[in-house]
Amino acid sequence: MSEIRRDPIIGRWNIIDTDQPLGPDGFEIDRQSPGGAKCPFCYGNEAMTPPELYVLRPPGTAPNSSGWTLRVVSNKFPALKIEGELNRKGIGIFDLCNGVGAHEVIVESPDHQRQMADLSQEEMTQVITAFKARSLDLRGDKRFKYTLIFKNYGLAAGASLEHSHTQLIALPIIPKRVQEELKGSERYFEFRDRCPYCDMLDQEMQERERVVFENNSFAVFCPFMSNFPFELWILPKEHRSDFAQITPEQIADFAQILKESLGRVRGALGDPAYNFIIHTGPIESREREEYHWHLELMPKLTKVAGFEWGTGFYINPTPPELAAKILRESV
Amino acid sequence: MPELRKDPLIGRWVIIATDRAKRPMDFAASRDEPVPSGECPFCEGQESRTPKEIIAVRNGSSANQPGWKVRVVPSIKPVLRIEGELNRRAKGMYDVMDGVGAHEVIVETPQHIAHTADLPLEQIHLSLQATMQRIADLERDPRLRYALWFKNYGSVAGAGRVQHARSQLIATPVTPLRVKEELAGTRRYFEDKERCLVCDLISQEQEAGARVVMSTPHILVLCPFASRFPFELWIVPKRHSCDFQAMQPEEVADLAAVLKELLGRLKAVLNDPPYNALLHTAPFRQPRKTGYWKTIVDDYHWHIELIPRLTRVAGFEWGTGFYINPTPPEESAKYLREATVAATAGAH
Repeated sequence: MSEIRRDPIIGRWNIIDTDQPLGPDGFEIDRQSPGGAKCPFCYGNEAMTPPELYVLRPPGTAPNSSGWTLRVVSNKFPALKIEGELNRKGIGIFDLCNGVGAHEVIVESPDHQRQMADLSQEEMTQVITAFKARSLDLRGDKRFKYTLIFKNYGLAAGASLEHSHTQLIALPIIPKRVQEELKGSERYFEFRDRCPYCDMLDQEMQERERVVFENNSFAVFCPFMSNFPFELWILPKEHRSDFAQITPEQIADFAQILKESLGRVRGALGDPAYNFIIHTGPIESREREEYHWHLELMPKLTKVAGFEWGTGFYINPTPPELAAKILRESV
Repeated sequence: MPELRKDPLIGRWVIIATDRAKRPMDFAASRDEPVPSGECPFCEGQESRTPKEIIAVRNGSSANQPGWKVRVVPSIKPVLRIEGELNRRAKGMYDVMDGVGAHEVIVETPQHIAHTADLPLEQIHLSLQATMQRIADLERDPRLRYALWFKNYGSVAGAGRVQHARSQLIATPVTPLRVKEELAGTRRYFEDKERCLVCDLISQEQEAGARVVMSTPHILVLCPFASRFPFELWIVPKRHSCDFQAMQPEEVADLAAVLKELLGRLKAVLNDPPYNALLHTAPFRQPRKTGYWKTIVDDYHWHIELIPRLTRVAGFEWGTGFYINPTPPEESAKYLREATVAATAGAH
């Protein structure tokens, strides 16, 4: 069981792996796993992963065998474990609890060579549908307060496996970064009775210079205060705080805009490593008027160094207006 | 002029380079062949490759000439500019100001040596004194609110192509978000208990012992309880003080020795890892609203954070601000406590 410990000064919780701790020699795994026999996400290797939780497979094929087109499994080396109680406790000035949570992997396609940007519209729609289904399912567990869906692509972005996949983590706490966003939105709403993201979308659609493109239900733009060069935000045009409430029609549009965004980033920047994160409201029964779910996509082009760690203040060498222009013109 | 833009949601400021904007191909080009020592702008004899020095430790030699021990110069590629006014303004719902501030480089040695642990103790000591002097000087500029002193070592940690021991100082016109959080956290604790949180932490850690790496007359080095990263370290002064630049001479000497020893152990135990070191010290306290800085002298305690870059920050951390650390700090502390720099002696 790992531990979740709280920083007594700023209140941030961190997961500490007390089970299989890495010593000084544990950090030189600088290669991604190759495909074929060794890849746990390729056909024929289904037994290398925990049993599937959700799958698309033709009738007649057995669970956990080849033939599937999309597969969701528990992470074999989870940062958090699903069994057990939270057990919150204190040691002097420190707070901690057990590392309870869910950690799942969405394998987007059986093909080791294909990137997410290469998926067809239909396949991408199935991936987004799986995101939604897994989010809704984990909500049944009352211990969880937040679901995070994210993707690490490329070694520099922290992907240790090459085979294209997205991850989902359900947490027993609302993480600090999310709380900051929720609090900031509440403050804005208190003052103006409007959602800050709706306002942002309005201003961006009027000014246009940071917008990359749009479809019926979504717009993608480089935010005014981008932390990173070529950072992209995909915002639903309709106000909604909870990603899991996305409708089938919106799923198709979201699949289209995400595929297009990934394709343009690859076209303009030559296949960079990237992370994307779906920012959504916490697990709760109410719809928040002040919060608006969205996806943040960050190509890894710069290195986070001492200044950023010390201040939480980023230095971005590419103005978002220029980044948007380059991505608009990219095909 | 670079711009400072504010995130309207969480209040974080970002520096956007508008002058030397980078295009897609510029990122590919930055893949890093080290600069040969003959072209290093920080070596003795190459003084004309940097802007004119701000201060230097010299024995009678003239400014911007060879014959120095430590040199502080403006950054060759400054992220903020010292000239001009802030010009705070709104663009619709967004807030912007001009990128005014200071960006300086403290060159720790005239020789082309990459790692601070390999420098003579005197050089580290002089570099710390120069840093204190520069922070005290920048504090007098009423446009500035905070000075961050930091060090990037190794390409992964953002050190770029020049492998010459140095640290940097960036003074910003706003108090950065990360600093505000820490100030708020320690102030809340003080309001509750009328004691400094970090002083309490020092006594608890000394008693527990499991996370302590080094303890000298003036300095404690520990792996924090909620470490974000494997082998993350905190260097804390035992005497309560909110300002790094107010260190006493014996504390500076002790800190220099601790840094040399600790960086040497890190290099030995982790095979010369890239790292970032950063100073957390109190902001510049210009008069604000009445009582604003009321308790800061009592509630804040300066310290240095040292982060070896062994893991990669990925989607989960970016999305949650919540870190996954594969090495418990008790284990990290044990390895570093037991390490001896004798293990690196062969490398000298």
